[in-house]
Amino acid sequence: MNGPNSAPLDTRVVIGSAVLRNPTIAASGCYNRGAEFGAIVDVSRYGAVTLKSITRHPRLGNDMPRIATTPAGMLNAIGLQGPGIEYFLTHEAPKLTSVPTAVIASVAGFTVDEFADVAAAMDGLPNVVAIELDVSCPNVDREGECFAAEATSLARVVEAVKSRVKLPVIPKLMPNVADLKPIARAAQEAGADAVSLINAVRGMVIDVVRARPMLANRSGGLTGPAIRPIAVHAIWEVAQTITIPIIGIGGVEKGSDALEFLFAGATAIGIGTANFRDPLVHVKVTEAIELEMQRRGASSVGQLTGLAHPGFAGKPGARGAPVATKETQA
Amino acid sequence: MPTTSPQLQLATITSREYRPPGFWCVSIRCPDIARTAGPAQYVALDLPGGFAVRLPLGIFTVKGDDFTVLFQEWGERTTRLAHAAVGDSLTCIGPLGNQFSPPKRSGHAILAGGGLGVAALWLLARDLRAHDVKANIVIGARSADRLVGVRDLARHGFDVEVCTDDGSAGFAGTVVEKVRALRRPDVIYACGPRAMLRALCDHAEREGIDCQISMEETFGCSLGTCWGCVVPVRRGSAQGTSYPRASEEARDYDLARVCADGTVFHAKDVVWV
Ligand SMILES: Cc1cc2nc3c(=O)[nH]c(=O)nc-3n(C[C@H](O)[C@H](O)[C@H](O)COP(=O)(O)OP(=O)(O)OC[C@H]3O[C@@H](n4cnc5c(N)ncnc54)[C@H](O)[C@@H]3O)c2cc1C
Ligand SMILES: Cc1cc2nc3c(=O)[nH]c(=O)nc-3n(C[C@H](O)[C@H](O)[C@H](O)COP(=O)(O)O)c2cc1C
Ligand code: FES
Repeated sequence: MNGPNSAPLDTRVVIGSAVLRNPTIAASGCYNRGAEFGAIVDVSRYGAVTLKSITRHPRLGNDMPRIATTPAGMLNAIGLQGPGIEYFLTHEAPKLTSVPTAVIASVAGFTVDEFADVAAAMDGLPNVVAIELDVSCPNVDREGECFAAEATSLARVVEAVKSRVKLPVIPKLMPNVADLKPIARAAQEAGADAVSLINAVRGMVIDVVRARPMLANRSGGLTGPAIRPIAVHAIWEVAQTITIPIIGIGGVEKGSDALEFLFAGATAIGIGTANFRDPLVHVKVTEAIELEMQRRGASSVGQLTGLAHPGFAGKPGARGAPVATKETQA
Repeated sequence: MPTTSPQLQLATITSREYRPPGFWCVSIRCPDIARTAGPAQYVALDLPGGFAVRLPLGIFTVKGDDFTVLFQEWGERTTRLAHAAVGDSLTCIGPLGNQFSPPKRSGHAILAGGGLGVAALWLLARDLRAHDVKANIVIGARSADRLVGVRDLARHGFDVEVCTDDGSAGFAGTVVEKVRALRRPDVIYACGPRAMLRALCDHAEREGIDCQISMEETFGCSLGTCWGCVVPVRRGSAQGTSYPRASEEARDYDLARVCADGTVFHAKDVVWV
């Protein structure tokens, strides 16, 4: 174990076959390839950046307004605007070589086949080390129920994608479900290499002058610090259910938030909305994790994972969180 | 339309001035922004308090190392800024966005500002004065007490005409009506409420006048990554992003990000839906 004054800390984390230089990951939809943020901060200090979710067909997205500000958060309904996979492959994928860190591709779809086909097309692109599945979209084969809302649908997507790609596959779970545990378990059993959680929380703002919902899409996804406790609890629950790594996402904007996520059972930390306010957030989070490693004499980030769970054994190298301990409901 | 490279800057509030009935002009010391800002550019301010996203405000005036922002207390972030103390520090990202382009040759310009839209016109007036362009400035508001920025704009020596919807000061009518009544310019520059911009664009199109407008939307990132602030633009126009079309897509336009591709757009490119 490293003492407080020893050699450089090893901040690497492992997600399936992917090794990230540190546990910070720019969340999907918030960072593109990092080119815009690269003009003002050092994007290479991110362990990975996640691309905006790509669908099979081009999508113009939702009408305006797409954003409303909320207490300690924001509501967005972009509507998966994007060029579609073909255009992405010819025009945008070649630019991935210029991303100064690892890339996680994100796939969204409305059918199982769409996920599998688009994910297969992303497999092997330059710099891409893993594929995240934005399974919060409505499943057209099941009357619009979200894939992430139901264990069987989710398992089918994960299995289909796993059978087509070599890279680690990471379904991204959403918090708007009765019980996350069976869904996370289904993801693991279907072969997922990790899970991301949480996606944005469904919400609405009403303009009291017009007496209409503020967003053209009416509802949107709430993100930012407002959702952080929801994310911490989701990570906590899922960490007790599965053994694959968890990428914790939702409202992280400073070092102690990231520590909450790690201690709840996350292996890596996704950061979305906070980049908008503080483009240096990833550097601050990494430095806070390094400091905490020194303080606790941890030689790897993994030794911080799951520390808040009762009965945590501190197994070096293990993801940390004990599996199938007694229920700890709030 | 030129752009500059934005920077993340530490800045200090140097003065604050209340302008009844609810406007504020706050001065911020940030040499890199004050010295490089161009017409219609804006800053994204991070304020103390639990805000998830930055507050975008137009860069109004500059003087030495300081720039000012002119704003209304709309909601929590603008209220927070209005009540910040002189000496408080904050971070700014800026200058952001593209700029109004000066006319190719010295000609005649009309600068039209509705409400707080005047905030986008001061730097433009400064630059047009330096380029020897003749200009009329038209500033409008609902009523006399809500006219703001008139004295600041007048400082550049151009004629400033005010209009009010209720006739309580200057021309009784809208900015658009006033612009129509003036001599035909070579170019119209405008910033203000959406309805005003749309009417001005229609007028400019009909008359074949070059017209540049600075637009506003609710911003998320302010940097061009989230696609939350888009406006529909003519297919193939330089500022938009053109994707192939899905067969079921009925909307026949491209999208441009107000924050990064704008805020300034040519009237002929904007699609009003
Ligand atoms: C590029 C750009 C430049 C801007 N420059 C200026 C400027 O120079 N001066 C200025 O005062 N504002 C300016 N704005 C608008 C300002 O950023 C917004 O008004 C912002 O939402 C205020 O934040 P808030 O937290 O105070 O209020 P919010 O909580 O965002 O809004 C409070 C309430 O006011 C309403 N509201 C907010 N803004 C407007 C508006 N513009 N018109 C009508 N209703 C509104 C909202 O719908 C909401 O109900 C600019 C915006 C952009 C994108
Ligand atoms: C503007 C915006 C766009 C987003 N787009 C996507 C997306 O395309 N796919 C996806 O999986 N998540 C998307 N998200 C969700 C984020 O990746 C993240 O899960 C969520 O914002 C919570 O994290 P945060 O609080 O750190 O922002 C988006 C979020 C925002 C704010
Ligand atoms: S505000 Fe995010 S792209 Fe414009």
